[in-house]
Amino acid sequence: MSHGDTIPLHQSSQSDIDEIENLIHASVQSSSATVLPARPPSPPRASIPISTSPSPSPFISSNLPPLPPSNQKVPSVPSAPPPPPLPSSSSSSRVAPTGFGPAPNTLTEPVWDTVKRDLSRIVSNLKLVVFPNPYREDPGKALRDWDLWGPFFFIVFLGLALSWSASVKKSEVFAVAFALLAAGAVILTLNVLLLGGHIIFFQSLSLLGYCLFPLDVGAIVCMLKDNVILKVIVVSVTLAWSSWAAYPFMSSAVNPRRKALALYPVFLMYVSVGFLIIAID
Amino acid sequence: MDLNQAVGENYANPKTCFFHVLFKAAALAFYILSTLFFDSFVIIFVVTVILAALDFWVVKNVSGRILVGLRWWNEIDEKGESLWKFESLDQQSLSRMNKKDSWLFWWTLYISAVAWIILGIFSVIRFEPDYLLITGVCLSLSIANIVGFTKCRKDAKKQIQTFASQTIATRLSSTIQSAFSVV
Repeated sequence: MSHGDTIPLHQSSQSDIDEIENLIHASVQSSSATVLPARPPSPPRASIPISTSPSPSPFISSNLPPLPPSNQKVPSVPSAPPPPPLPSSSSSSRVAPTGFGPAPNTLTEPVWDTVKRDLSRIVSNLKLVVFPNPYREDPGKALRDWDLWGPFFFIVFLGLALSWSASVKKSEVFAVAFALLAAGAVILTLNVLLLGGHIIFFQSLSLLGYCLFPLDVGAIVCMLKDNVILKVIVVSVTLAWSSWAAYPFMSSAVNPRRKALALYPVFLMYVSVGFLIIAID
Repeated sequence: MDLNQAVGENYANPKTCFFHVLFKAAALAFYILSTLFFDSFVIIFVVTVILAALDFWVVKNVSGRILVGLRWWNEIDEKGESLWKFESLDQQSLSRMNKKDSWLFWWTLYISAVAWIILGIFSVIRFEPDYLLITGVCLSLSIANIVGFTKCRKDAKKQIQTFASQTIATRLSSTIQSAFSVV
């Protein structure tokens, strides 16, 4: 009955987004404080019309379990299955939940679960965005579980790689690279929005950040080998890869007649980063 | 649990409180003291921003849940619309939250945001716009958390009211129904 009090765990494979279903279906009428059995993986996404909170009460009918504080940092969770990576094909084939039953409560999950969940989200986003994936259903929707951690790491990493390769003015190089990429991502997103495109601000920031991954790889290679010709080749390849990765998302967001207007600045930004990588010595 | 509450003056979750404060204080301290030890802007930037990002994650995912029972996030639904979601514990658990915990939670959030604003002003005064970048990033992370949790708390209060009125209505209707069924 009161599982929630003793089993703080639930399927850590859920992303934050999937927890919504849990909220909606937590039954409020029965005010018994039960936390529900673990859910099956890949739950569907809720279609919630209201903007701030779901119309059925969002209360999770689970009381804060009277656990000792050791609950907070439980490193080993005996009955937790490892989180399966989010299958890319299921991300857009979700249906409004009806019979998934009550769901575990993320307010009382142990910290390690949250960490694992976020890490797996980063990895799955990376795989979705950057790597060739013929089974990707609708590229425009693939980055729905956006997160900014991946982009943050990639931008910082690129700045560090550039700064490391530079023999003088390391600080300026880093600051310039970071500011260029961050401001560039914001401006590119505004560009798409002003062109009348339909894209969420954070989703686009997240996308542009993830598409930096190939350039990161290129920057590392260039850092290790200092041959100019090699650098040019590597940078062109990674630049093409980045642009190819960003193309489906950007183009699906805008009117087809304005695709070039949206894509050209993205390409330009990546080209300028590529030049930075080549020119650093 | 009852023991903790009965004492009343203690923190119910000392470890969480500690971590909540730790990263904020570490980011601020590192930023302020770093010029004494490091000459390189890059290291200062990276370490401060990483600490601030860790703090953001800890507050959003761990201490918000444990100290005040609130959580917020954003998701994108089928139609491509962006929705902000707020989640809170039910009324009973909320009222059982330790007052000291929540006091610490809110005040450290506000104080660290104010501290970053002041540091940003200093960096402008000293004509070091590079450092404004650092303070800008840390400040935006703090403000995001403040706004998110404040909205979540207001939402929780609203939900409590609707829940209360709903429960009363349900109880009333079921009483009436049972009265009729007896007849």
